[in-house]
Amino acid sequence: MSVVVRTVFVVRSLPFADPGTPPLRGPLTLLLWLARKQAHVLLVAMFFGVLSFTCSAFQPYLLGHVIDSATGSGLSRTTWSWVAVMGGVGVVWIASNAIGHRWDITAWMHAAFRTSQLVTRTVARSGHNITKELPTGEVVSSVANDTMRIGEVFAVLGQTLGSVATYTIVVVLMLRQSLTLGLVIALGLPVVAAVLALLVKPLQKHQKKQRDAQGRLTTLGADTVSGLRILRGIGGEKVFTGRYRDQSQKVRQAGVDVAGTQSVLDALQVLLPGLFIALVVYLGAAEAIAGRISTGQLVAFYGYASFLSWPVHLLVQSVNVVTKAHVAAGKVVKVLQVVPATGATGSSATMPPPDVALVDETTGVTLEPGRVLALVSADPDESAQVAIRMGRFDDEAETATPVTLGGVRLADLDKEALRDRVVVADATPALFSGRLAGELDVRDAANREALLRALHVADAHDVLESLPDGIEGEIPEKGRSLSGGQRQRVALARALVTDPEVLVLVEPTSAVDAHTEARIAQRLTEWRRGRTTLIVTASPLVLDHVDEVLFLDDGTVAARGTHRELLDLAPDAPGGQAAARYRRVVGRSLAEDDEAAGLDQELDALLGANAQEGGTA
Amino acid sequence: MSTGKILPIADAAQTWAYTRRLLGRHRAPLVVITVANTVAAVAGLAGPFVLGRLVDGVTEGITLEAARDLVLLAVGAIVLQSLITRFAQRRAMVFGETVFADMREEFVETVTSLPLSTVETAGTGDLIARTTRDVSRIQNAVRFGVPRLVVAVVTLVLTIAVSFVLAPLVAVAILVGVPVLVAVARWYLKRATPAYQRESAAYAQLDGTVTESVEGARTVDALKIGRRRTARGDDDLHEAFQAERGTLFLRTVLFPGVDFAFMIAPISVLVWGCYLASEGTVTIGGVASIVMYTYQLQGPVWELIFWLDEIQVAATSLSRIIGVRLVPTDRVAGTAVPTDEHVRGEGVRYAYREGTDVLHGIDLDLRVGERLAIVGPSGSGKSTLGRMLAGIHPPTGGTVRVGGVPLVDLPLEDLRKHVALVTQEHHVFVGSLADNLRLAKIDADDAELLAALRAVDAHGWVEALDEGLATEVGSGGHKLTPAQAQQVALARLVLLDPHTLVLDEATSLLDPRAARHLERSLNAVLEGRTVVAIAHRLHTAHDADRVAVLDGGRITEIGAHDELVAANGEYASLWHSWQHE
Repeated sequence: MSVVVRTVFVVRSLPFADPGTPPLRGPLTLLLWLARKQAHVLLVAMFFGVLSFTCSAFQPYLLGHVIDSATGSGLSRTTWSWVAVMGGVGVVWIASNAIGHRWDITAWMHAAFRTSQLVTRTVARSGHNITKELPTGEVVSSVANDTMRIGEVFAVLGQTLGSVATYTIVVVLMLRQSLTLGLVIALGLPVVAAVLALLVKPLQKHQKKQRDAQGRLTTLGADTVSGLRILRGIGGEKVFTGRYRDQSQKVRQAGVDVAGTQSVLDALQVLLPGLFIALVVYLGAAEAIAGRISTGQLVAFYGYASFLSWPVHLLVQSVNVVTKAHVAAGKVVKVLQVVPATGATGSSATMPPPDVALVDETTGVTLEPGRVLALVSADPDESAQVAIRMGRFDDEAETATPVTLGGVRLADLDKEALRDRVVVADATPALFSGRLAGELDVRDAANREALLRALHVADAHDVLESLPDGIEGEIPEKGRSLSGGQRQRVALARALVTDPEVLVLVEPTSAVDAHTEARIAQRLTEWRRGRTTLIVTASPLVLDHVDEVLFLDDGTVAARGTHRELLDLAPDAPGGQAAARYRRVVGRSLAEDDEAAGLDQELDALLGANAQEGGTA
Repeated sequence: MSTGKILPIADAAQTWAYTRRLLGRHRAPLVVITVANTVAAVAGLAGPFVLGRLVDGVTEGITLEAARDLVLLAVGAIVLQSLITRFAQRRAMVFGETVFADMREEFVETVTSLPLSTVETAGTGDLIARTTRDVSRIQNAVRFGVPRLVVAVVTLVLTIAVSFVLAPLVAVAILVGVPVLVAVARWYLKRATPAYQRESAAYAQLDGTVTESVEGARTVDALKIGRRRTARGDDDLHEAFQAERGTLFLRTVLFPGVDFAFMIAPISVLVWGCYLASEGTVTIGGVASIVMYTYQLQGPVWELIFWLDEIQVAATSLSRIIGVRLVPTDRVAGTAVPTDEHVRGEGVRYAYREGTDVLHGIDLDLRVGERLAIVGPSGSGKSTLGRMLAGIHPPTGGTVRVGGVPLVDLPLEDLRKHVALVTQEHHVFVGSLADNLRLAKIDADDAELLAALRAVDAHGWVEALDEGLATEVGSGGHKLTPAQAQQVALARLVLLDPHTLVLDEATSLLDPRAARHLERSLNAVLEGRTVVAIAHRLHTAHDADRVAVLDGGRITEIGAHDELVAANGEYASLWHSWQHE
């Protein structure tokens, strides 16, 4: 009994604990692998598909027998028993239809979900290679569309097989009753189906044209609304609604073209099967008049001719489904083939002990243990690159520009262990949707106090207030409800919570206002005091608080010292030229035009004057 | 700050009234479609009728010629039905396309004339979702659903009617399955909409998770949260699974229910018909016709359930689309004309939520031609004050006037000529560069556009473009850097030429280098205008004629930079830490 219940009703809970490792040779291999993985589901689905279609194929046959029996003897015992058989077959048909549908959907989900799981796993371990090799839209579409297309092959398998069975049964039944009619049906229906299938091509062409026009219209609509603030603030609404209307009319026109072809197809779908049935009925009537078949059989032939168009239609559809799934599987394989940007080859060196220096060999930037440093460069990209290299985000790209930890190249270390020790937060960190507390505590190791402390350091208390449930509140997708500054501060707090041995932050305060920046600078440096930290920034508010500033110029560390020392260093002292350039970088906010070289002196004087003014006030 | 307000959603009565009005506007084609489909449906009933006559004929000893004539009658009906189908289906689809085009155009027009304050506070996310997702969700229902529904209903009614005309006694048996059918369909339709919405929400969530993981791939790697992201995806899939199981359950009830009705109906017709035939009331041929009619009902019934389901789902999207029409206007333009260019706020208050003022009665008198910087911590009300000064929002208390006329009494076109708000947003519209500029001045010629670009220091890169002003930009076109996009926005201001500008952290999102070049462009625009700059970086304040420090919705300090530094208050301490004491 329990086996029956399981077979009939229970659908195995998904997703899978482990989706497995598919071969990535090509689309067909992937499809076959998926089929093997759920062979039992497919077998059950096919069993019920065949059963249900067989039942419906026998309906006209039984109908003919009831009519013959009733014509001969009215509601006799024989008639009643044929009715009973018809009812019995009907019940089996109903049951197998419903159960079969459950298994079709199960087969669909198994394939679609397993494929989705494979994609999400690939994305999660690929690092930035996924975006380097494929457009985001393509990856998302592989989950949103391609997995669904793949699933459809498995969903229609039962019905497809059922259709083949029905077709065979009907042809055999008819051939037994009349050779001519049997042959007409066996050969005629595929011809009708083929003609209709041919017409589908031009229809699809028109449909594609309309879809493309529709796509442009949607883009135009989204574009207009995205810029709505500008349109309402500056003007131009009329121009844009006019543009939208023009494109909308193009879509309508394309739709009218579709209607032209579609209505011909609809008409032919009436005409061709209709004429085919008329032919069968005429031939059947002739046979009946000649007394070679009964009236019941004539009714049955009519039934076969009209009912068979459904399985034949399904078979044509299946070909379509398989073609689409093959294309979809190809796209999924392309995503699954993406190799992780780091750690793809495993580690070859042992992890150095704690409290060793992290060195960017290319520029010589060295993070000595326990120091809070800042990195400034005339070219902000250059200093950011140093930080990114320290994060080891791309083994292949960084082979020529190694970074070492305690003398060992990062690329040779175990990636997971390295990520525990060194955390690099780049300039545009992504926020993920979810509970704020959960999103902050990426290591699942912090308690509530630690989270609140990190939020305090990042001066992000206003984020707590903006969420309805505070730290338990939900952040929407990409943190969209937060302002740019809030997002940046939440990301900063998140990096702080990881509490790593070495922390590297790139422009952590670029989007916050000066008041906030001043608070963060003070709290952040206080919090990391005594632990290895590097902040890439050119903001005096931050530079003022770090232990030491490294000034990167022309690819090397040209000057180092406290912010104060670098500001005060005379131009003719050793390193004075570099310090002057440093002042130009950090003080540019006051310079109207730093391209004029002669302004150096003037600028120094101005900065000096301001510093003095501050001191005496 | 920008998420407080949610756009309205129409209720059932409003949605229904709108639908009725819309269909009323297209009554003529609707009637034509119904009539044509009625004729086609009648012709479609010939087949089973002829079959019945043949069955009786064979029993009575019909000639082959007579049989042939009957079949030819059927062929004639089929040809007629095909011809009308071709005409009616075409008309129906064109009808659907026209109605849908009508709806979406009207919708976009409504959206683009939303009140300024709604646009600023509601944000564009919800509106974009309504423009794209909701519009596409109703498209199937509008384009195909309504016409198909007409066909299904007409076919159903006629098939049953003709059955009753042919053999009323037998036809009664068709209705045996109806109670089960109606009960099951109602049960299903009542539950279908939320169940399918849960399903699509689950998949949307999964897509969102994947998008986040892909776009944040670097962060995923850096923070070692790959496993978390995978688990999130699995959670989404589990929710999708639960949702699928829910709809599967609904169908596990619906399918057998409908199937049962269509199994029991022909059998009942048969048994009842055979009994009547044995009594001599009807012929076997008549019974055969009615049995075939019962089978023919199956298609339209499924079609009906399918489209009712689809239309239900579409109705929720429709209510969101119509909802946009319900946004009340935020101002009524008067006729007073400002006497000069003097902008002045008196006792300005504003509350996003009733009872919690963000601004507490601010008096601010802008001197014509001055540059005023507003500084203050996050949440102090800087941006809100900026919007009041630009006439975006009607204040909840006090007024902001230009030349003696409240800003919100001015017609929008006039308001723009007086004050403009410049935000950090720099959307580049899909279209040519010229299109992007002409927003501000529709009749401007190319020379004017180039002059505006020159004024903001942007003519260099524009002239370097192969197609110059005609270059297609925006999504899918030539990509502008953020700085170039900002310059385009500034050139628009030159063309618009308002005497007062409110800059809301206009350059804060740019990297420091770009901001510097931009400042030169910005200065060119600011030349000769009154400027209120909501300052992000302190040097903006340093350069201003006056600085206003805003804290907790009040101006705590106001005066020239040097005065404030000398006064040694909040501003001074901030300035010193910036400048390094």
